[in-house]
Amino acid sequence: MVFIFGKPFADPDLLRHSLQTFFGIGPQVCKRLMARHYLHPTIRVGELPNPKILQLNADLAEMKLENDLKRQIRDDIGRLRDMGTYRGRRHAMGLPVRGQRTRTQINTARRLNHVPRYTL
Amino acid sequence: MPSSVCLRRLSLAPSDLTAHAMASRSLLAYTQTASFSQSAPLSAKPGQGKPAGPARGERTLNLGKNKKVQRDMGKRPAPGERKALRKRVVLSNTNALVVEGLNDLTVGNIETGDMQGQVVGLSEPVIDSLRAVEAFKATQGWHLFRRPAMLMRRETTQVSALMRDVETRKKTVRRILAGDRASGKSTLLLQGLAMAFMKKWVVISIPDAKDIVSAHTEYAPLPGSNPLQYTQNAYTANLLAQIAKANSEVLSKLLPGTDLKLPIPTNRITTLADLAVLGSKNPELSWPIFNALWTELTQPGRPPIMLAVDGLAHMMAPSAYLSAEAKPIHAHDLVVVRHFVDHLSGKSALPNGGMVLAATSGSNQPGSPALKFSVQLAEARAQGATDLPMWNPYQLVDQRVMEVLKDVDTLKLHGLDKRDARTIMEYYAASGMLRKQVDEPLVSQWWTLAGNGNIGELEKGSVKMRA
Repeated sequence: MVFIFGKPFADPDLLRHSLQTFFGIGPQVCKRLMARHYLHPTIRVGELPNPKILQLNADLAEMKLENDLKRQIRDDIGRLRDMGTYRGRRHAMGLPVRGQRTRTQINTARRLNHVPRYTL
Repeated sequence: MPSSVCLRRLSLAPSDLTAHAMASRSLLAYTQTASFSQSAPLSAKPGQGKPAGPARGERTLNLGKNKKVQRDMGKRPAPGERKALRKRVVLSNTNALVVEGLNDLTVGNIETGDMQGQVVGLSEPVIDSLRAVEAFKATQGWHLFRRPAMLMRRETTQVSALMRDVETRKKTVRRILAGDRASGKSTLLLQGLAMAFMKKWVVISIPDAKDIVSAHTEYAPLPGSNPLQYTQNAYTANLLAQIAKANSEVLSKLLPGTDLKLPIPTNRITTLADLAVLGSKNPELSWPIFNALWTELTQPGRPPIMLAVDGLAHMMAPSAYLSAEAKPIHAHDLVVVRHFVDHLSGKSALPNGGMVLAATSGSNQPGSPALKFSVQLAEARAQGATDLPMWNPYQLVDQRVMEVLKDVDTLKLHGLDKRDARTIMEYYAASGMLRKQVDEPLVSQWWTLAGNGNIGELEKGSVKMRA
């Protein structure tokens, strides 16, 4: 069991997958993060030497992840709404923001486009 | 079903009947939906009826009520079990017949070259060494015959002649084994390794270059290197383990002559075999130990060295490793690859003589236009062509690869001639794997079907398809 950014991961887990469980780390960020520490893509959590874990944790601590990132996104949408922009209005109405058609297929917008985007 | 219209008509007074005589006819036409009804479907609340169909993505056929369909997963394979099965090399088939009169390859008959055009077996110690360096491939047909045996073809004799040259003149021979798919490049490499083991050379073999560049083992920047190079400790440790195991007979007789200059106590190292084993057990020191071993092996009076790699194209391209800036690392910046490539290009020589053999692969090769072009150029040069092929100036070129391969010669494998084809088919028949009378028409037929005697196709058509 290895703790990365305060979260426990089992030794046989791929580090790549473990990192991507954090909100704000997708394939690209993960790739760059691992490359910065010379970690090959198939390394498992249990194979990480201790100094690397510390370095990774230090890097993750500097990044905006999880609730901080969610809060930022929520604030950004709120700011758009407060300014009265078109994008803000569309978010408030739960409609597509980027000029998509609304006749059909706006389930994603209905699901996601709210001013309080994430519940923290 | 009772009509609601009939009930309503009963409620009307007799005086009204005439007044509504005409209207009642029209009522029959449109009062089908009444405000009151006893019919069951209409009395249901809206939204409680049977849905029109399953929701999207929902599974429709679920016979067990309130039961989740559980697939029987069985026991999961242990970590590494499937890979071990995939990479398993079987070298014996107890159902195949023992071939009478099959001679083993020996140092004596390598030297005389008597065995050309014959099928020869391999002795047990050589098989063990070849296994240790993973020279046998799971895709080759070793599992079909009683024991490993191979055809000494014309190209094998060329390699043995080159080896003789190395021993007499202490020169470094560099060759790329090229040829069509299944033309026997990996097998020729194996024959080269087998002869090197018999001649007590030190053999260092990278069994598949893909493993070294596919970013499946750890890597780290080499401190103090400029331009930045990268070590692969786990891979190098494994390579040292293979070297120690395969060359144990030779290395255990060689004593370290120089100060090893290693950051760990070396007083227990009495032979070079110990040194290689030490490196295999200490991955973090594997690269310094490999270097120390190499320094020892290149001292005067040491045996010649055979450097071999299969799947050269993987080495001649950017690797899957990433630099700190997330840019691909060129394979030539990996120290083990760099070491090999320096010897292949002739930048570093082998002071006690030796051979650098690099086999290309027809079935597993990433696109490496520079390698392809260099091989074509070398073939044209060997044929004495006056108009050598030119690189298309509008195509991007991997300059590092071009530079490395600019004067490497190739050993081109062609199809077997019909006499060799007959020999190998007679061996198949003697093993009981080809149940036909091997005569001229059959040989001719299979030789043609195998693309003018391509040995892999010959084996596939005559043995593998029937086994």
